[in-house]
Amino acid sequence: MHRLLDFILWMPLIGLIGVLIIPKGNKDGIRWWTLVNTVITFLLTIVLYLKFDQTVPGMQPYFAVRLPWIEQFHIFYALGVDGISLPMILLTGLLFVICVLSSWTIEKSVKAYFALFLMLQLSVLGVFLSTDFFLFYVFWEVMLIPMFFLIGVWGGENREYAAIKFFLFTFAGSVLMLVGMIALYYVSGQTTDSFNILALQGGHFRNMTVTLFGFGIPFNLLFFVMMFIGFAIKVPIFPFHTWLPHAHVQAPTAVSVILAGVLLKMGTYGFLRIAFPIFPEATIYFRDIIAWLGLINVIYGALCAMAQNDVKKLIAYSSVSHMGFVMLGLAALTVQGTNGAVLQMFNHGTSTAMMFLMIGVLYERSHHRWIVRPDGTKGFGGLYTQLPIYSIIFIISMFASMGLPGLSGFISEALIFLGIYREFTTITVLALLGLLIGAAYLLWMFQRMFFGEVIEEVKNYTDMNKREIFYMLPLCVAVILFGIYPSPILNIMKASVGNLVSFMASYH
Amino acid sequence: MSLSESYILGFKHFIPESIAVITMVVLLLLASMKNIKKVSYTLAGIGMLAALATLCCNLSLPPTHIFSTSLIIDSFGTLMKIVMVLGTLGAIYLSYSSSDIYPELKIEFVIMVIGVLIGGMLLASASNLLTLYIGIETLSILSYALASFKRNDERSSEAGLKYVLYGGLTAGVMLFGMSHVFGVLGRIQFNEMISLIPELTNSQIVVLIPSFLLFLVGIGYKIACVPFHMWAPDVYEGSPIPVTTFFAIVPKIAGVSVLLRISITLFNEPGALQFSWVAVLTVIAALTMTVGNIAAINQKSVKRMLAYSSISHAGVMLLGVLVVNKTGTASIVFYSITYLFMTLAAFYITSIVSDKYGNDHFERFNGLLSRYPLMAIVMIITMFSLAGLPPLSGFVAKFNIISAVIDSKFYTLGIIAVLNSVISLFYYLKIVRHMVFCPSESNEKIDGFALSSQVIIGIIVVPIVLLGIFWSDLHSLSTSASLFVSL
Repeated sequence: MHRLLDFILWMPLIGLIGVLIIPKGNKDGIRWWTLVNTVITFLLTIVLYLKFDQTVPGMQPYFAVRLPWIEQFHIFYALGVDGISLPMILLTGLLFVICVLSSWTIEKSVKAYFALFLMLQLSVLGVFLSTDFFLFYVFWEVMLIPMFFLIGVWGGENREYAAIKFFLFTFAGSVLMLVGMIALYYVSGQTTDSFNILALQGGHFRNMTVTLFGFGIPFNLLFFVMMFIGFAIKVPIFPFHTWLPHAHVQAPTAVSVILAGVLLKMGTYGFLRIAFPIFPEATIYFRDIIAWLGLINVIYGALCAMAQNDVKKLIAYSSVSHMGFVMLGLAALTVQGTNGAVLQMFNHGTSTAMMFLMIGVLYERSHHRWIVRPDGTKGFGGLYTQLPIYSIIFIISMFASMGLPGLSGFISEALIFLGIYREFTTITVLALLGLLIGAAYLLWMFQRMFFGEVIEEVKNYTDMNKREIFYMLPLCVAVILFGIYPSPILNIMKASVGNLVSFMASYH
Repeated sequence: MSLSESYILGFKHFIPESIAVITMVVLLLLASMKNIKKVSYTLAGIGMLAALATLCCNLSLPPTHIFSTSLIIDSFGTLMKIVMVLGTLGAIYLSYSSSDIYPELKIEFVIMVIGVLIGGMLLASASNLLTLYIGIETLSILSYALASFKRNDERSSEAGLKYVLYGGLTAGVMLFGMSHVFGVLGRIQFNEMISLIPELTNSQIVVLIPSFLLFLVGIGYKIACVPFHMWAPDVYEGSPIPVTTFFAIVPKIAGVSVLLRISITLFNEPGALQFSWVAVLTVIAALTMTVGNIAAINQKSVKRMLAYSSISHAGVMLLGVLVVNKTGTASIVFYSITYLFMTLAAFYITSIVSDKYGNDHFERFNGLLSRYPLMAIVMIITMFSLAGLPPLSGFVAKFNIISAVIDSKFYTLGIIAVLNSVISLFYYLKIVRHMVFCPSESNEKIDGFALSSQVIIGIIVVPIVLLGIFWSDLHSLSTSASLFVSL
């Protein structure tokens, strides 16, 4: 049973090989094969959830895998799971199944599409499962390759620009992380565990300085900043967010879902797993700045979203705003705040995935996404009377994203505010304003698209078909269930988050 | 043991070079006959493989001086020679079907390439100033002829002339520097110089530093590092593709290995001499990476882009030299091996495309993925590997070099190096963009990519992928080779 993590990680590779073997013409064969493969991966993550021991703080020894890879550098093929990574693994398992279903209508190079898709799943799972920094880095970078092609080949009209911008931005961030990683290896002073993320934890670098361009800089501050930029580009934190609207708008629906649902969380996961525990003093040193950046994300993202006429861009900016809440929760370094942040990572994954999927469904009918077209005329109107089922599911996802009580977003945002209030009172009050703007732009969008006069074009739209309803259902269940009863997720993360927070508190 | 006995014994270790010389001479004799293209290519191939085999036998030898200490045979030099022989083999294979080389000149091409290789091999094991100079000149003089190989083509003639003028000048400057080194130290043997260095007076050091810098000019020119790189893009672009491939590998590897050997022995001791040497190399390395990369961004011709990119790769290799330690040496050996495969693959595909369309502009690569998927996928893998993306060998090579740099606490250089790889990704992506995203100009398939070519390209590309994942063995091989850099 202890090989479970291996199976989860390499299942997409088996799928990938299968996709490459199936002949090009057999499009349905490729689709079904990919679907079965992702379903198996998802079931394996469920098994992992059931076997998971909720009382163990930190990495679960039962599942740990550790085999030597490059012995000269003490690089290990090391996998592990704890309460912080498990929600992300579950989310990855679920979203990829849904995305395969939503990609059913893709006709352009089906084989390459699903091959890249499975490669993406492999790398994402690798990031969440690795406990070796080198391995983590490899998966972190490998992820860029399928994303580049998925956006660049199957994307919208301005896809090349978006793909290249995404690639360069994230690559720039990650190479800085590479320097940090290598520096950690050499200065950690440990001979056998120098790429072991867990062994690196807990500032061994308090009194070291580094000469950079002739200036002496404390080691932990410098390398915390480098790692911070690497992860911040992924989250994305203002001012590193400019790639995100392009990538989101140009990417095909399923890729947007994965991008918003999982890939952005890799950034915040990186903070929780690497940047914070390895540089606790630097984290506390820069805590205020992180909180303020989080606040800027919340407000700025919300204001940008309000100004958008392209509904997908609007949701993309709402992601910026919502990831700001996660950063606020992380900066609090309190139990509630961190619990809220991890829960928000999960909940935002489901709710924003729903939003993107719903926009994808609409786009397949309308072939445009304008709320208001550039020429000033309405893009949509009266969808509510024309597409009743669509509207109901859209309302659920919109309210979940808004954080309405009873739906999942509320619990996590409430926890974040609880956690941060004592630490940063001003920021809390200002961030509540972001919540208000969030409600405003979503409701305004809804009003403009769903109410009002039915425009001519909308009359031809058909309501959601069975496949579309089928893949939206699990997400609807998730946002409602975890809105009323969040314990299944909260319980698994409790021990690990508590462990992390008390660890960080010892450096206060 | 008498001198003549040791001389004859020395030949035992000199077999690889001897085989190369014999191959060259036999081909020279054959060249006067007609219709012997196949025979001579087979002979050249056999010769190179034999040299390779004997080199592999030499790998485990302890460092030995041969020919009254004018050459040193050690596993570092042998590994670098293996890279050079493989590069030559690749260039010879490319020239066989390339239309860039006139049919009547093909055998001459093979002969000259092997001649340059001999120069490079001498350089890689040179252990005194004299053999070093002979090596460099053997390498250079034949290279001049190679550059102007397309003799009816203006650009090729220009390339040859440029190469000659620059080369002559830098060789002169280098000789001048070497004469001063000899003047101060009174020795031409490197291993005898080492023992003199700690006893130098300040005034001697003041003379030695500029003379070593003049000496550096000649080697810097061969490696094509900034500010001695001006010739490279024009020469690379003007020369036929097999020649460019060859230039990007053999002289560069030879130059790096001789530079490394000098640095790690003569400048091993901390002091004013080492400080100034490392400082100069630091500036050169940072400039070489940056200038090469920035210039590569805006190129229209893929060959010229690859030329600039090879300049920036030389800069990265210099990083491994300037740390002056064993980690650096090991990382250079590793880098050279992966660089060999990546360069061969990149130029091979460029050569096929350019043969088909008559030029190698980016537009010619449009839609390659739909027309010839295998070729495009190989090119994509190569480009990502050159940019240093995991899990490809280019990443591991870069990882090793940056490790060496950071281990020696050159954090600034490390950051400059990784930011440069971001810039490089931009232009490597440009090719990928043309191949994958742009619609092709015509739907006709490219022929001439037969099964044999596919096998060859497979042999080149498989190491690019595999060495990125299973690099443990190659790393220990290069580490063991680095232990024996001595004079």
